[in-house]
Amino acid sequence: MVVAEAVVILLAVYALLGLLFAVAFVTCGVQRLDPAARPAPWGFRLLILPGSAALWPLLLLRWWGSTKGGASS
Amino acid sequence: MSAGYVAVQWNPYKRRYDAFVCGAVVLYLGMFGFVGKLLFRGEHALSDEVLALRALGSCAFLMLSVVLCIGPAARLDRRLLPILYNRRHLGVATFLVAALHGALALGYYHGFGRINPLLSLLTTNTSFTSLRAFPFQLPGAAALLILFLMAATSHDFWNRNLSARLWKWLHMLVYPAYGLVVMHVALGALQAQRTWWLAALVCACAATVTTLHLVAGSRERAADRGRTSMIEADATAWLEVGRVDEIPPDRARIACAPGGERIAVFRYDGRISAISNVCAHQGGPLGEGKVVDGCVTCPWHGWQYRPADGQAPPPFTERVATFRVRVDGRRVLVDPNALPPGTPVEPAFVEESCDA
Repeated sequence: MVVAEAVVILLAVYALLGLLFAVAFVTCGVQRLDPAARPAPWGFRLLILPGSAALWPLLLLRWWGSTKGGASS
Repeated sequence: MSAGYVAVQWNPYKRRYDAFVCGAVVLYLGMFGFVGKLLFRGEHALSDEVLALRALGSCAFLMLSVVLCIGPAARLDRRLLPILYNRRHLGVATFLVAALHGALALGYYHGFGRINPLLSLLTTNTSFTSLRAFPFQLPGAAALLILFLMAATSHDFWNRNLSARLWKWLHMLVYPAYGLVVMHVALGALQAQRTWWLAALVCACAATVTTLHLVAGSRERAADRGRTSMIEADATAWLEVGRVDEIPPDRARIACAPGGERIAVFRYDGRISAISNVCAHQGGPLGEGKVVDGCVTCPWHGWQYRPADGQAPPPFTERVATFRVRVDGRRVLVDPNALPPGTPVEPAFVEESCDA
């Protein structure tokens, strides 16, 4: 029961953080990672929101990497 | 192709395809409910919720089986390629139907207690050592999670930004997901209902998926074995592809390099060029496509590359590897060492009259 509770809490925290990250990512991060997404419509941004929420640690690293790369250049 | 992203790249064919899929799903669910009400009456009558659960679950299982059959079936019979063209939408539709099944099951069986439904799902049944009482819901939930990841990353944006290798790996998880679904059905519905037709349906679907993959795989391996004839010339080990007239105009012959890499050797406008057989989009077999408007066109989703340099025409930016080619008499030879993607290579010129 304790393990199951921990799993559910971890899932909830991961999903909540993912959702918050995804909103920020599709609003202003996606075009930094991929310039082809700069003029993309909101339908596209809405469509990649679930994937952004699910894979947020990976995207956060890449977004951070692209910001550092952009700053150094 | 990635000059800019849109939500969904609709065209009339895709609209018809999706309308057919939606119509078939609605028809199946309606028929299942109607027949279910007729078959289960009186004291055996099923509630609307249970009927809907069974309809959605069986529909998702059938759809996933079809999705998995499309790839090998299209490799065995090229006439099925148009179905492959929009497989992605069918996959997303499969996830949506499976998600409805999962949400309904979670709400119906775990949603009315005092504890969190997810916690209830994880703790109600923990008989992991019993085959008869195994918590069959867990493999189903794991499969649903995989289908979600696949549907959520099905847009071309993910293919481009996750890297082709990671994206492909993620989407190959569909096979473990199918295994989990079969486990979910075998340990759940098949044990609870014990109806012959359900067992026959599950076995037939799993056997069809497995057989098609085995047959398509063995046929490709047999074809590859016949494509590895090496010739030493000019200090280069050239791969003999075949005679010029064995390559149909605007089509390719696929050669297999000693390392296993497939090379698509195209004949077009009196020239021969060779590029990688693997499309930069989703790994489609370029050698099974044809040259349209001067560009090699992938049979899966229509992505295009110029045969002489492996580059997508502007404004697109995708590239595939190219290979040096030469024609020795009537024999077409290709250097199996891949050049960096997008490298221009002088085509070999051939006399079109030699077909006769």
